[in-house]
Amino acid sequence: MKELDLLKKDWQKEGNTFEQVSTNDIYVMIHKKSSSLVKWILIVSILEFLILNGISIFISSKEYDAFVIAHPIIKTLEIINYVVIFGFIILFYKNYKSISTLNSAKDLIKKILKTRKVVTYYIFWNIIFGGLTGTYVGLQGFNEGMKDANTNADVLDTSNIMVVLVFGLFLMGFIWCFYKLVYGTFLSRLSKNYNELKKIDL
Amino acid sequence: MSEKLEQTFVQLLQENQNIIHKICRLYTNGEDAHKDLFQEITIQLWKAFPKFRGDSKFSTWAYRVALNTAITLYRKTKRSISTVEFEGRQHFLNDVEYDYEEEEQLKLMYKAVYQLNDIEKALIFMYLEDKDYQEISETLGISEVNARVKMNRIKGKLKKILNPLEA
Repeated sequence: MKELDLLKKDWQKEGNTFEQVSTNDIYVMIHKKSSSLVKWILIVSILEFLILNGISIFISSKEYDAFVIAHPIIKTLEIINYVVIFGFIILFYKNYKSISTLNSAKDLIKKILKTRKVVTYYIFWNIIFGGLTGTYVGLQGFNEGMKDANTNADVLDTSNIMVVLVFGLFLMGFIWCFYKLVYGTFLSRLSKNYNELKKIDL
Repeated sequence: MSEKLEQTFVQLLQENQNIIHKICRLYTNGEDAHKDLFQEITIQLWKAFPKFRGDSKFSTWAYRVALNTAITLYRKTKRSISTVEFEGRQHFLNDVEYDYEEEEQLKLMYKAVYQLNDIEKALIFMYLEDKDYQEISETLGISEVNARVKMNRIKGKLKKILNPLEA
């Protein structure tokens, strides 16, 4: 291809046309913070972790503590949750350690996408677990709160349950959309490049 | 990291900076984005530098880190390429060899290369840098045969972009 040869010739001699960066500039640069994708994924997942757990600290109160004592199953669920989250943190750490720019491009993208997948599972866990416990606590709390005022009969009817359920689903959907929005922009190009490499190697 | 290591790195990078400039030129559009990517690649190179053993050339080692940064880690969104950008390319041919037709062809060629995707750009970059298929395959993580096949396809694609009617 004649044009490509022409380009190659031009490419190899053009070195001196770039504005040269001084050693001083390089010193300054290497002390700056990276703004790389992986770092942003890490920051966002840490923020998510803090926010999701921060919410539970905010909503805890004396009434809630009393409620937990009355419903020991919540304590069990909390313990399970912490064990699972701890497992996720170990996985996060292991993944980030394994990401290195010295891998081949395909390996590197694969690792980043795998890291991302773990974050996805983590979010899923939080949405589903949080949604279910929230709904359970909501239903029980509602039931008991109303019982005192009325007779001792169960006041939960189908329409009440439906309202709580719909609200819970809406909340889960909202969190999911938010999360898609945050990561979607980061990852679309990466997935595209990975698919391209996979396509070449089929 | 020690001061001596830092000094060695800065020296090596300064001498080899055109590699990074060339990658930035291929993957960005406009001065700001160029500087931005240059800085990001520099940071990534510095982070990886303790693992540089010196058994390969600094430039060879830098290709991988720099391309990886451009393909995977750089998060700035790309703007579409404007024609104004290409008007400024004239100075790449020096006066002695000034040839209007050649220059016109080069301009079109650069424009065509810009239309390739990130991976295709990486392949073209290594081709232009005269790297063999073994190095291309190692850097990208694909087999040598596939790198060859892909390179031929890219050539076809460039041809098609240059002469849409003939293809």
